[in-house]
Amino acid sequence: MLRVLLVTDTDKPIGDLRQALARLGYDMLAEVATPAALPKVVEEQRPDVVIIDTESPSRDTLEQLAVMNETAPRPVLMFSNDSDQQLIHAAVSAGVSAYLVEGLEASRLAPILEVALARFAREVQLRQRLAEAENELADRKLIDRAKRLLMDRHKMSEPEAYATLRKRAMDQGVKLAEVARQLVSMTDLLG
Amino acid sequence: MNTPKAASHSAADKPEKTHIRLGFVALSDAAPLAAAKILEFGHSHGLTLELCRQASWAAVRDKLLSGEIDAAHALYGLVYGVQLGIGGPQGDMAVLMVLNRNGQAITLSNPLAEAFNQSGNLKQALASLGRPPVFAQTFPTGTHAMWLYYWLAAQGVHPLRDIRSIVIPPPQMVDALAEGQLDGLCVGEPWNAVAEARQAGRTVAVTSEIWPNHPEKVLASRRDFVALYPNTARALVQTMLEACRWLDSPAHRADISTWLAAPELIGVPRELIAPRLLGDYDVVQFPKRPLPVSFFDEGAVNYPRPSDGLWFLTQYRRWGLLSGDHDDAAIASAISQTTMYREAAALADVRVPDEIRADTLIDGRIWDGRDPAACLDGFAVRA
Repeated sequence: MLRVLLVTDTDKPIGDLRQALARLGYDMLAEVATPAALPKVVEEQRPDVVIIDTESPSRDTLEQLAVMNETAPRPVLMFSNDSDQQLIHAAVSAGVSAYLVEGLEASRLAPILEVALARFAREVQLRQRLAEAENELADRKLIDRAKRLLMDRHKMSEPEAYATLRKRAMDQGVKLAEVARQLVSMTDLLG
Repeated sequence: MNTPKAASHSAADKPEKTHIRLGFVALSDAAPLAAAKILEFGHSHGLTLELCRQASWAAVRDKLLSGEIDAAHALYGLVYGVQLGIGGPQGDMAVLMVLNRNGQAITLSNPLAEAFNQSGNLKQALASLGRPPVFAQTFPTGTHAMWLYYWLAAQGVHPLRDIRSIVIPPPQMVDALAEGQLDGLCVGEPWNAVAEARQAGRTVAVTSEIWPNHPEKVLASRRDFVALYPNTARALVQTMLEACRWLDSPAHRADISTWLAAPELIGVPRELIAPRLLGDYDVVQFPKRPLPVSFFDEGAVNYPRPSDGLWFLTQYRRWGLLSGDHDDAAIASAISQTTMYREAAALADVRVPDEIRADTLIDGRIWDGRDPAACLDGFAVRA
């Protein structure tokens, strides 16, 4: 059975995977929680598969091992119509990254990734993204309005209006959008 | 003047894609992205930028390849590593422009730094440890691996045989150094400054000593991003050129340090970011005056010169990361988006420097990209 190493150095609940995968019969190696401990474990315990949070800073440690050591697992990331590849893509978007030793079929990862995926709340991520995009749009409109106010009322050119907003942002140590918000709300107040 | 020109594009030049997700890693040289976003330099070119902090270079690569981010602040060498598929997935990549030069450093543990400063001989200082020294860098094909290897080799230390080279994420490098797990490291700022402030080690070399004004971070994307959205790519380069120009003023660098200190950008106190971002080093420590990190320098920084890329390919061959019959010059010229860059530079009124640049590196060798094969043959220390 495949030897699986879990890297648990972030807040994501990858640790829960251990029992689930052990129940499926995988040979679970002792977990690693720091990048400094990774090289020794990969060299001595020879995992076939490493599962790690996509957002883990320790991923670059694994990348170095993949380059320097032929027997170390390599990152799996391919995109095609193949259903396994779709699963890998889904895993990456959900925040699960997999490393696999060369020579093993990517399809052997499928059951592991399915179990991992089930443990990640993708919904949360998507909702957050949507909220951020809406904020961006609102900021943009606000800055345009502030710029037009300066151009109309103070007879500034567009670059001058920008420069004025930027200078104020820097002087006050706030974002440009915040300066725009202040200007627009003052104007609304004073009419 | 630092004010952007008024938008004057025709409908045909309009960006095809207006919302751009930009990846970056928590480093001082992410300053152009921070400035571009905080001051919204993109708006006058029809772009809205969204900054997406990444915890690792591997994540930058994966998200560029999957399309989750459109472009990124990336190690020069990462782009070439992905193009060649070294140790991971392969994809056709593009360098849109260079974002900065200089600004990285090598730190040694306190005892090693002392031994090195006393004898002035690195090989001797390393031998005093009585075991193989451990050095950390940031990514296998990245810039820091290459600066570290070049620096060691120039002093007769073989980077693949005489030391153990590992990758540790920059914030943890300082911890690992403090705990005695590392003897040295090569990384971008502010992490060398953080190591000194925590008295975990001392900066013994800055990367401008290894290669004066070396290329460092680039604005990278997949090549099909440039093909599918040519106007967006050009507008993005114009935007970033304006941000880089803005950063040339010391007052602005002082301003941006305050921003970079924020938890959502670097999350390190401003006092540890500002001095080295402003080029303020304790010069007594260094044999040659460190060149400060440069973001613009009248456009000398930003041209994506194919010979810069060729340098990395030549070093990969030197260290056995690349072998076989590739046309290195063709790879570098396909990655470097020189035509698009020239258009953007003209629109932003930025001078494009000469195609050929010759620099003398730390080992006395001259690199001008004209004969990489001869350059490679000349290295005594190699894989």
